[in-house]
Amino acid sequence: MSSRLLQNFKGGRAIVVTRRGGWESTLETTLAKLGVSTEYPEIIDGRAQIDVTSLQADRDILFVDGDLEGAVAIEVHPASRLPPVPVIGLVGVEAPSRLKALVNLGATSFLRKPVHGGAVYTSLFMGINQFLLRAEMSERLQDLEERRRGRRAVIRAVVLLMQHGGLDEEGAYSQLRRESMRARQNMELYCEEFLSKRAKPPDTSGRTTGIMLQGGNKQAI
Amino acid sequence: MFSTTGSYSVVARSILNGALLAFEEVNATSKNIELEPVVVNPSGDLARYRSLSLELLGSGIRQVVGCYTSSSRKEVIPCFEKFDGLLWYPSHYEGFESSDNVIYTGAAPNQHVLPLVDYLASRVGSRAFCIGSNYIWAWENNRIFREALIARGGTVLAERYLSMGDTEVDQVIAAIIEQRPDFVFNNLIGTSAYAFFRAFRAACRARGIDQAAEIPVASCTLSEPELPEIGPDAIDGHLSSSVYFSSLNSPENAAFINAYAQSFPDGPASSADAESSYIAVKLLAAALSQAGSDDARRVRAAVADQRLRAPQGEVRIDRQTFHAWLTPRIGRSSVNGQFEVLLESREPIAPDPYLVQSSPRFASAMRSPLLKVV
Repeated sequence: MSSRLLQNFKGGRAIVVTRRGGWESTLETTLAKLGVSTEYPEIIDGRAQIDVTSLQADRDILFVDGDLEGAVAIEVHPASRLPPVPVIGLVGVEAPSRLKALVNLGATSFLRKPVHGGAVYTSLFMGINQFLLRAEMSERLQDLEERRRGRRAVIRAVVLLMQHGGLDEEGAYSQLRRESMRARQNMELYCEEFLSKRAKPPDTSGRTTGIMLQGGNKQAI
Repeated sequence: MFSTTGSYSVVARSILNGALLAFEEVNATSKNIELEPVVVNPSGDLARYRSLSLELLGSGIRQVVGCYTSSSRKEVIPCFEKFDGLLWYPSHYEGFESSDNVIYTGAAPNQHVLPLVDYLASRVGSRAFCIGSNYIWAWENNRIFREALIARGGTVLAERYLSMGDTEVDQVIAAIIEQRPDFVFNNLIGTSAYAFFRAFRAACRARGIDQAAEIPVASCTLSEPELPEIGPDAIDGHLSSSVYFSSLNSPENAAFINAYAQSFPDGPASSADAESSYIAVKLLAAALSQAGSDDARRVRAAVADQRLRAPQGEVRIDRQTFHAWLTPRIGRSSVNGQFEVLLESREPIAPDPYLVQSSPRFASAMRSPLLKVV
C-alpha cells in the first residue's frame, strides 16, 4: 500500500465548534500560519449550525469541543465509521464519556484545551492523515469483500471450463486469468460475466444465499 | 547563549561576535535604552542549554539571543514558554516550527534549501548524494531537499549520517565515489563537515577526479569562518545557499564588515549567522525601545513589521510567523576565503516556515514498484 501523506494544508478550512472564550485565538493564529482559515459556526439551542451537505473532505476539518454535549450531529459511515470530513476533538474535561462521544463522531486526532500552538501541526497532520488512511483502508476492505463474494464465480467458471473445455484445473484458471487481464477486469467480475454469458437458467438459490451471507458478514465485522 | 567551545564553536563564536557588535552599536547610539549582555556558553551540551536557560530566565532576564543547532533550540523552547521569555534565534534552520516565544531571524527552508534545489537541478545535475550530521537539522533539511528534487525529476542516490563531531568520513566518501552523483548535498556541521571537505577533495584528487567541477558539494550551512578550518587544499569550489555573504557589495555591509573586523581582529570571520545575530540584537533594541518594557508579549508585539537596513539588504519581521523576510543567494567559495555570489534574489522574500506556499500538497510517495506480480 502506498498511501501518500498530506503535509501541506494550504487552502483548508477549519470549522471550530466551541463556545468562544478567548483560548481559541492560539488555535486560529496557528492554523493561519499553516494556510488554514477558521470559521466558528453559531450554536443555537445547543446545536452547531453546520450545513453538512456543503462539507468537502479535501478542504474542511471539523474541530469539535468535547465539552459541548451533542453540539454536532453528523452521520458516520456505517462500515468505515468515518465522518464526512476529518474530525479533531478538542479535549477539556478528560472524562471517558466525552472522549467516547468524540470517538463516536469519528475523531482521528485530539487537541487539549487550552490549545498550545506547538501541538496544532501534529494534531492536524495526524487527524487528516488518519482520516485519509482509514478511508483508503475501508475502500480496500470493501474491494476485498466484493472480490471475496466473487470467488464463487471463479470456482464455478474453472469447473465449467474443466467440464467443457477439456482443461485441467491449472489450465482453466490460467486461461481465465489471462482473459480477465486482457479484458482489464478483475478475475471475479470477469468470471461472473463469463458465467452469465453461458448460463441457461439462473441459479437463484445460490444468489439468494450469497446476498444473505453478505449482509450477515457485514454485521459481524 | 552560544557554544563558543565544542564541535561547532567556530560558527558559534562568529554568531556571538555579531551579537556583541550590535550591543556595542546600540549602546553607542541609542538615547533611551542601554543593553547589558550576559554571555553564557553551553559548550554544545544539550543539558547545559536547558540549565543555563533556566538560570538566565530565573535571574530575571527575559530576552535571550541564542542557539545555533536546532536540537539545542528545541531543548530550550519549553523553558522560554514556561517563563514567558523570548528567544532570538539567529540561524537558518529546517522550519516546521513557530513558537510564540521565539523570534526567528535566520533563514527558513524556502529561503535556503529550496533556492539551492532550483540552482542545482537547473545548472548542476539531477543525481544527489545526501549526507548530514545525525540530528533534526540534517534529517529534515534532507527530507525537504529530497521532495523538492524528486518533484523536479531528480533522484537521491543515498543518504548517510554521521554523529555530530564524528570525523570518520572515509566510508561515506568511498560510497560517494562509487555512486558518482552529480553533486553532494551536505548537512554535516562543524568539525565533521571540515573533515569531510578535506578528505573528499583528497580522495577525488587521488583518483584524478576534479572534485569541485565533477562532484561539487552544496550546503546550506557553509560560511566564511569555516573555510580556513577546512584548510587551503580544499577551500574553494564549494556551493553555499545563504542570505548573506561577507563579499556583498553595499554600504551597510561595508560598514558591518569594517566594524566587525575592528572589534574582533582575531576572528573568526563574520558569517551569515553572525549577520543574523547582529540583526536579532538590532531588532531587539528597536522593539524594546518601542515597547518601553522587556515583557515578552509587548516586545513581540513591537517587533512585528519592524524593518532594518541590514548588511544583506532590507530585513523585516513577518507578523504572522515571526520569521524574517530575507534575500536568498547562492555563492561559491574561493581560495581567498570568500564566497563569489553566483545568483541572488532581486528582493527579500517572505518566510514560509511550514512551506505552505512552496511544497506539494502530498509528501512524495515512498518508492514502491509500479507493477507487481499477483
